[in-house]
Amino acid sequence: MQRYTINIIFLAAAVSLVAAAAAGLFDNYILTVLMFMGINIIFASSLNLVNGHMGEFSCGHAGFMCVGAYVGSLLSVVFFTSNKFFGDPLFPPEAAPFLFPLVLILASLAAALFGLIVALPSFHTRDDYLAIITIAANYIIISIVENIDAIGGPRGFSGMKRTMNVMGDVIHLPWMLIWVLIGCFVCITVLYRLVTSTYGKGIPAVCQNEVAAEIMGVNTNKVKIMAFMVSSGLAGMAGVLYAHVYGYVNAQAFNILKSTEGLVMVYLGGMGSISGVILAAVAFTLLVEALRFVIPAANDLLHIWGILPASSELSQIWKWVIIPLILILLMQLRPEGLLGNKELTHVFPRLRRWVSFK
Amino acid sequence: MALLEINGLTQRFSGLQALTNFSFSLEERELVGLIGPNGAGKTTAFNVVSGFYVPTEGTIVFDGTPIMGLRPHQVAGLGIARTFQNIRLWNDMPVLDNIRIAQSHWLGYGFWGAVWRSARYRNSEAAVEKKSREVIEMMGLNDVADELPKNLPYGLQRRVELARALSTSPKLLLLDEPAAGLNSADVDGLIKHIRWIHDSFPIAIWMIEHQMKVVMALCRRLCVIDFGRSIADGLPAEVQANPDVIKAYLGDDTL
Repeated sequence: MQRYTINIIFLAAAVSLVAAAAAGLFDNYILTVLMFMGINIIFASSLNLVNGHMGEFSCGHAGFMCVGAYVGSLLSVVFFTSNKFFGDPLFPPEAAPFLFPLVLILASLAAALFGLIVALPSFHTRDDYLAIITIAANYIIISIVENIDAIGGPRGFSGMKRTMNVMGDVIHLPWMLIWVLIGCFVCITVLYRLVTSTYGKGIPAVCQNEVAAEIMGVNTNKVKIMAFMVSSGLAGMAGVLYAHVYGYVNAQAFNILKSTEGLVMVYLGGMGSISGVILAAVAFTLLVEALRFVIPAANDLLHIWGILPASSELSQIWKWVIIPLILILLMQLRPEGLLGNKELTHVFPRLRRWVSFK
Repeated sequence: MALLEINGLTQRFSGLQALTNFSFSLEERELVGLIGPNGAGKTTAFNVVSGFYVPTEGTIVFDGTPIMGLRPHQVAGLGIARTFQNIRLWNDMPVLDNIRIAQSHWLGYGFWGAVWRSARYRNSEAAVEKKSREVIEMMGLNDVADELPKNLPYGLQRRVELARALSTSPKLLLLDEPAAGLNSADVDGLIKHIRWIHDSFPIAIWMIEHQMKVVMALCRRLCVIDFGRSIADGLPAEVQANPDVIKAYLGDDTL
């Protein structure tokens, strides 16, 4: 029974969310925030595999999300919509809700292949030097995308909204929310099952003592390729979902700032803690959204109190002062993150009665 | 046919020649010591055998298979396990996991097996679990199975490392200064453990050790190495009387 607690809770939550969304209980804003929360969970927890469990410092994770976003958008446009470039849809529109997972899978595989850009140098390069390679990978990917005119180049790429509409026409459901929830479920299941298997424990073994891992029979090169590919593949899945929620992608949305957001979530949650990073992704998304309201409110207050002259305004740019400030405080006060490298069940042992989440 | 046959091994690191025409052979179930002054090339010899370095010249044949140029994990898969001079455990994972990960080379499932939790995955994990528990029980580590190695006393960490090496069911066990940093009570325990391992398993042991107490208690044959060359090989008593060995350790008194 304990084995299924999490699955049951997740299923119940997912069904009620979808039902509530289908019944129109959420306005569009809340729905979008919910979906971005899910995408952030996938993005951050996939980064956690490399940065947390394997102990490498990847700061180009958004690059892989970019690959997923573009490949996924392209496939979805080719598969399900008609436009002047690619002609008629490849599949009948009725098939769209059933074939969308194919888009997710193919785009994730493409992103996983790009993960090799980082995985192959990682055989001989570590730490700071590998971090530089990951940044380079991020830039390489963005530049490639920006220079392919067929997919819009620097103007970006759109048309995925029509895919969503096609799906909605077949069966009227909040499809994107469903795909995000399924994406989260797949991502967490893959990561959890991987890191609890003896095979997957090779990943932290590489982190904690690579020499010992290799000499005790762990094929460290294979483990590194596997970890980087899984991590970038899942980021690619986050990218497909991101592109479809927005209905528009632009390579610059996946620059180093986006990668940094991922790092913030991983370090906020605690490196190597799956549940910690999920919590952090939720908290971070809420925080960013909350600042949308808090900053104007603070602006008004400061004007009323006369602290701020009428000529100046507190703009949303302050978000990028407050969030880094939180990061600085976090590193000073709790450098190991919310949960350290422990899981929720270690921090609250009573939970273990209900769930078996190692 | 010897279990391990090293012939004319030379290891050069740019300017430094760490091993020069080093030859050595080890029979099955033998327990041989490798001694020599600091910097003589003992650990280099171990590193070459375990696949950490590719030798510049020479051949190493283990159990009929040439192993020069194989990656360390492949060498481990063939049945050579080792411990390290400075303990190398995975410090943030419980002792049990340390033992489990050492079974990686015979897992028989990969990424998809782990994610899908296939039948092969379940069988393999059950076998790994059983084997790891056995080794833990055998090495008297039951009480600390769920502890992190970094929280254990030094002597116990050494024992965990030994258990980890043993858990791979090796045919040859390389021990790199197993008694380094142990107090005399721990050393006695270690001697007992190594002797027991050697008596209970079909295993050959080749150990580097500086403490003569350990070497004399365990080894029936000693190999002495100095400046990367083998200078003596034989019974402990013979080796102790060998003038070259005395010269290597105490220096030349003919000025």
